[in-house]
Amino acid sequence: MAAIAAEPTLVKKNYLTALREALIEEMRRNDQMICQGEDIGMLGGAFGVTEGLLDEFGSTRVIDAPIAEAAIIGTAVGMALNGKTVMAEMQFIDFISCGFDQIVNMMATYHYRTAGEVNLPVVVRGPAGGYGGGALYHSQMNEAWFCHSPGLRVVVPSTPYDAKGLLKAALRDGNPCIFFEIKELYRKNEIAEVIPDEDYIVPLGQAVIRKEGTDITFVSYGQSVYHCMSAAAELEKLGVSAEVIDIRTLVPLDEETIYKSLSKTNRVVVVNEAPMTCGFAGEIVARIANNAFNLLDAPPARVTRLDTPVPWVKPLELHVLPSVEKIVRVALQTAKY
Amino acid sequence: MSVIPTTGTAAFEPLAEIAESTNDSRPSQLLTKEDCLEIFNQLYLARYFDIRLIKEKKRGRLRGTLYSSHNQEAILVGALFGLKATDWISPIHRDMPAFFLKDSKFQWDDPTRSGMSIEEVCAQVWGKVDSPGRARDNWSHIGSKSKRIIHSTSMLAGTIPVAAGVVYADRMNGGDAVVLTFNGEGSTAQGIFHEAVNFAAVHKLPVVTIVENNQWAYGTPVHMGCPTPDVADRAHGYGIPGLVADGQDVFDVYDKVMAAVEHARSGKGPSIVECKTFRAYGHGDHDDDRAMKYRPSEEIEKGRTRDPIAICRESLIERGFLSGAEAEQYIAERKSASEATNDDFPPVVVEYLNRGIEFALNSPLPNAEEGAMWVFKENA
Repeated sequence: MAAIAAEPTLVKKNYLTALREALIEEMRRNDQMICQGEDIGMLGGAFGVTEGLLDEFGSTRVIDAPIAEAAIIGTAVGMALNGKTVMAEMQFIDFISCGFDQIVNMMATYHYRTAGEVNLPVVVRGPAGGYGGGALYHSQMNEAWFCHSPGLRVVVPSTPYDAKGLLKAALRDGNPCIFFEIKELYRKNEIAEVIPDEDYIVPLGQAVIRKEGTDITFVSYGQSVYHCMSAAAELEKLGVSAEVIDIRTLVPLDEETIYKSLSKTNRVVVVNEAPMTCGFAGEIVARIANNAFNLLDAPPARVTRLDTPVPWVKPLELHVLPSVEKIVRVALQTAKY
Repeated sequence: MSVIPTTGTAAFEPLAEIAESTNDSRPSQLLTKEDCLEIFNQLYLARYFDIRLIKEKKRGRLRGTLYSSHNQEAILVGALFGLKATDWISPIHRDMPAFFLKDSKFQWDDPTRSGMSIEEVCAQVWGKVDSPGRARDNWSHIGSKSKRIIHSTSMLAGTIPVAAGVVYADRMNGGDAVVLTFNGEGSTAQGIFHEAVNFAAVHKLPVVTIVENNQWAYGTPVHMGCPTPDVADRAHGYGIPGLVADGQDVFDVYDKVMAAVEHARSGKGPSIVECKTFRAYGHGDHDDDRAMKYRPSEEIEKGRTRDPIAICRESLIERGFLSGAEAEQYIAERKSASEATNDDFPPVVVEYLNRGIEFALNSPLPNAEEGAMWVFKENA
């Protein structure tokens, strides 16, 4: 029988698989890398992101940590101080508050207070975001806490390709990073995509335009990007052409892509899942006001969560979180201003 | 091979214990006359550092808060004396002399030793650019990766997990380093103390947690922060040894810490060594006057009576290492900063610190622009 030529495998991979591949490939690439977190070894992680790691890399490099977020972060700092690269998983990003001091006072400041002598390649990653009925303590987007603590990279990927490329970039960056994974996207088939087999990174600090438009700019990240895409489709029917920017990394922030878009659309709506007051949407609006005021034909607008916790049952949760409907409404006001 | 237990195979083991040594087998009995005299000099040096900084501040040549280690020097000297150059330490605010005492045995001036020079430490105290941290954070918040000194923050007990991580990595590299973390008794009430000691115990990491129990956590007495008779009793909860040392007796501290270090280095895991002592003055020098009010005067009087320099002197006389006029040459004990003079200390100590202070006074301030530097490692 004639040999059948091997076809390139064009298997679509979901967001969770992309993350898992990033961890496995980085662990293979860097034998000085350690992963630790609650239930990440024998169980493979509460969501399965670390499945297979223990078997391949052993219990010295893949640590089932005690339920002690502060110790998980603090020991990661010590390991990194002594030459290791560490991925520290928070079972839910909400739990990161238990390790807060070790993150903002110990880890984030280390490079600064040692005048550059020490740098800490530590990526603290975990599932984040609402819309899943997770209630107050399994739904948060608390990224603003960390954007407000100088010394931390803050990353929020929205696609499988970015999830893998950004996680690899974060692990190689050499600075501590808080990496927000959107758990509603983990196994979402609609966003699964073919990602390269060969090694790649997505550089930190580069926004991407998800949809081009001419009348109004949406600036967003994480799950909100998809809400903006749906809103843009609705607006298209109403004759409004919206551009959608996914900033991907909050620190560092690619402001140029935002201003470039504004020079075309002159109108902006910033959308995120966090509460409005002192949130990152406010920071983006402030920077636009300072640096691109002349480009604006309308007041910059925000669509965010209400200034409330994230409640449990569906009607309550949807009431406080941004929706496509809310985004369309605010966008129309901004477009008509 | 890693000594870290493999997942799922950790068998129950009875509580690890460190046997009490008989008098003759105490590690300190093996110290030579030269070792003992060096220890005595290090006590003088630590005391002189403290007294001299207070004098410098009164002269107006120094600003910032001082956290006195007066009366607690035996803990620093005794704990550090037997370490290897490859061992790590994490000192806190009341341990300023630890930075230059580390790895200083018979080599105070060796620039390659695994400890800081007196010049570096003084530059830090004076907030000058030659400080190891270029004066970016104050007082004891310095360290050195190459000299194996962990940089602390103001959040006490917060360095214990870092210390645990450091030796976890060292074990992975095949090293045999031990880490000594220094803590006040007050910080043992912190959640991170529990999390970190627990982690170290689970992984049998070579972490020796020194508790300097000076009876007062700022304005709160020990019994308001710790429910057990000894702080070392907390060790029972982790199945690790908890030792109690007389923090005024440098040789007792040495013995207990050496036992804990040996235990750690041989792979048996962490321990807690509580050193009982007394804070001679306020929490910081800003607190000296108020501390006279919140602490009963009899307690202060009693707490200062067992001066570590005097106790060391008695031991040395007893062992025949000091005698006659030599034994009474420098009487620094039980003297406050205003009472003590340079004549109360060996000239080698005074000259050493003079050099450090001279260096610090001549070192420039950092450029203002440095305030905005090193937030991130730049990868461009």
